[in-house]
Amino acid sequence: MNEIVNVSRRQLIKGGAASLTLAFFLPLKGRLALAEKVTAQTRLNAFLTLETNGQVTFYSPFIEMGQGTYTSLPMLVAEEMDIDIARIKVVQAPHGKQYKIMFGGTQRFTGGSYSIRSSYDILRHAGAAARLMLINAAAKLWNVPVNEISTESGDVLHRKTNRKIAYGQLVQLASKENPPENPTLKSPSAFRYIGKAIKRTDTTAKTDGSAIFGIDINIPGMLYAAVKKTPIYGAKVLSFDAAAVRNMPGVVTVETIPQGVAVIADRFWRAQKALEKLPIQYQDTPNQQFSSAQLAQQMRARLDETGVVAESKGDVLQAFEQAEKIFSADYEVPFLAHTTMEPMNCTAHVTNTFCELWAPNQGVDFVAEMAAKITGLPLDKIIVHTPYLGGGYGRRFYTDVAEQAVVLSKKLGKPIKVVWSREEDVRQDFFRPMTVVKHRAAIDQKGTISAWHSTLVGEGPIGRLFGVQPDEADNSVVEGARHQPYQIANKQVDWVQHKHPIPIGFWRSVGHSFNGFITESFVDEMAFACGKEPVAFRQELLTNSPRFLAVLNQVTEMADYQAGVSETAGIRAAYGVAIHESFNSIVAQVAQVSIVKGQAKVHKIWCAVDCGLAVNPDTIEAQMQSGISTGLSQLFLEEVTFEQGKTVQNNFHNYPILPPHMMPAVEVKIIQSGAEIGGIGEPGTPPTAAAVTNAIFKLTKQRIRRLPIANIDLSVTAEDSTTTVRTG
Amino acid sequence: MKLNVNGIEHQIDLEPDTPLLWVIRDNLGLTGTKFGCGIAQCGACTLHLDGKAVRSCVLPVSAAVGKKITTIEGLSQTGASHPVQKAWQEIDVPQCGYCQSGQIMTAAALLQANPNPSDAQIESAMTNLCRCGSYLRIKQAIKKAANA
Repeated sequence: MNEIVNVSRRQLIKGGAASLTLAFFLPLKGRLALAEKVTAQTRLNAFLTLETNGQVTFYSPFIEMGQGTYTSLPMLVAEEMDIDIARIKVVQAPHGKQYKIMFGGTQRFTGGSYSIRSSYDILRHAGAAARLMLINAAAKLWNVPVNEISTESGDVLHRKTNRKIAYGQLVQLASKENPPENPTLKSPSAFRYIGKAIKRTDTTAKTDGSAIFGIDINIPGMLYAAVKKTPIYGAKVLSFDAAAVRNMPGVVTVETIPQGVAVIADRFWRAQKALEKLPIQYQDTPNQQFSSAQLAQQMRARLDETGVVAESKGDVLQAFEQAEKIFSADYEVPFLAHTTMEPMNCTAHVTNTFCELWAPNQGVDFVAEMAAKITGLPLDKIIVHTPYLGGGYGRRFYTDVAEQAVVLSKKLGKPIKVVWSREEDVRQDFFRPMTVVKHRAAIDQKGTISAWHSTLVGEGPIGRLFGVQPDEADNSVVEGARHQPYQIANKQVDWVQHKHPIPIGFWRSVGHSFNGFITESFVDEMAFACGKEPVAFRQELLTNSPRFLAVLNQVTEMADYQAGVSETAGIRAAYGVAIHESFNSIVAQVAQVSIVKGQAKVHKIWCAVDCGLAVNPDTIEAQMQSGISTGLSQLFLEEVTFEQGKTVQNNFHNYPILPPHMMPAVEVKIIQSGAEIGGIGEPGTPPTAAAVTNAIFKLTKQRIRRLPIANIDLSVTAEDSTTTVRTG
Repeated sequence: MKLNVNGIEHQIDLEPDTPLLWVIRDNLGLTGTKFGCGIAQCGACTLHLDGKAVRSCVLPVSAAVGKKITTIEGLSQTGASHPVQKAWQEIDVPQCGYCQSGQIMTAAALLQANPNPSDAQIESAMTNLCRCGSYLRIKQAIKKAANA
């Protein structure tokens, strides 16, 4: 995805942005009346309204799902508008073109670690423009030159005459001002918010129980739906015996939904209980034979096929022919579930004239478009509220649960809240795809790596959604494998498409979620094959990549990295390293690991991140901790397997996620290199597993090439298991 | 059935095997207590029953009759001022925030029983899951609250 974005980001900054920022928002009657109840406030631009009491409402194009956007985005506005961030109320902007600020004004979603990257310029402009409109209004009011006017945290000042007026009192006048095209932005040296550790705006609500998530919505007259889609993907419901549950307490009706059944009741628990008692028959489907173990076997068998070339540099074939030594290693990662702590849910109210939704989502336009299609209503009669998300991680790109709510509310003419049990949430996920990778390397007579050839077998969520061109690799498979910074003269990455017969989706850091582990493990393998120390090996190959080198050097310095195995108080410990770029940010981690009772124990992880520019260092620290926890979770615990078409796992007892006692100490250092601004929500995840398994190798000589590792006995020291294809 | 929730008596007319969680959320409208798994694995539904942390998604409402139920909304008399809540705010613990009511209720019960827990005692009491991985700040906040 990076490539698409780089281009469009440039376009966005060049064109589009200014007109988009300052376009006046024309409120849609229906939506306002129903959803917003705007009273004395006035819109200054698409993103900002100001009330006479001085309160600013910021219409955020991106949702808060934990990553801190409801703090970092208003920071950008407050900075340039010159107001206290506490006076800004953040609400999620409705769907529509004016909030599509990504990729040259064509797209909007919360994901891909894009929020700050997509809005840094635009929201600063919006704040600065609003401030200038207030200044211009005051100049007219006081009949003084504009250049004699200044602002101070929510007030406009004319120091010469010692006059001062609050922003709120100027709002009627300011709204008549023309939005300025090119307001001057603050110089970074004058920043009051950007770059400072600013407290989150959502913490109080998230500590007193008042934060409203989608699952908390309560609409008068609302009924609850418990749903069950066919547990085998693609199967159809043949029949169900509604009479068996219709007389259970609270049950209103039993309805079909796409590929499933819903029980509607006056309370969720009653609906769920009846659903569990409902006899359902399914049609046979070829997918009932599906086994993930078999799939892995089929994928492994294709590792030597010639795929679509995703990257090609030099002459790999020749380099392998002339090599002194060739070796290869096969890696494999399983399907993963998202298991957001807030299970999938959505509330919908469909009438003949409008459709209102309370939909936890990472793309409000996707939800609105889906609802318009199902209801036949125009988009301006669709209202989508996006409450706080109890986690997203890519799962809430998909509108499947919202679709169920719309279908049911349309059918029943009542507000319907659909809540999934955790079992439904795991079974009906859009899974992080299983991927199998072979890396091969050639060492020349000088003992250096002369060629690196990788083959990735699998399918990616981008290709699944948008299709792939015959000669083009799916970036969501090969990102993090191709275009690596290491100077190796001959390099090739191939992609062999192998389709998965189940839903696959975006999962925190997408292709990087596995390639971070696989690529950086193999880089370690190459180091040892060359008889080099892993950090020194990387340093040698990164001399032309100063940003990478700086991050690597920073993290090894922080960790006081030791090449060998150390022994303190009878505990053998080793340091493993990994460095990986994703979403425009470079993250390097060092893990200190020991083996306790045959299991790896991670004592501490040091993390250096270069995200170009840091808006809120406190959020960045939290996101690095968070990304690391996800990396450890997939390393140790997470795996979805399929037998006879169904997921074997269905809840946290058999799909465990990282528990608190497995979280190591984490130390984070942020490097602001001044490079193009990078993402933060995802880049912490990719290097973590490799940092740990590279340490495990030092301790045990066991090279971990398949995740997860919870059931692997690490108490034994293995022979080096690299497959040497040919020597000499 | 009569339920005492945050000091207020409620008359409840429901199947006695209904999990307390759903009574609190859907009947009483106290939505700060969350549904996460339904099998007492994640702890998002943690509340206090006579001062002890319990996972309400598997507790039949009938078992809570005659006991004092406290939810996140009733943890402090005024505006999230319990020492645990204050520590959580000072450290900015929550990310997505969904599990945090349960985390706070578990931590508050721990500190009630043991005002100065060791690292090991914190580890054994705090088993609630957090998919955002806010664990380090949770631990830091518990220590801060213990020293408050």
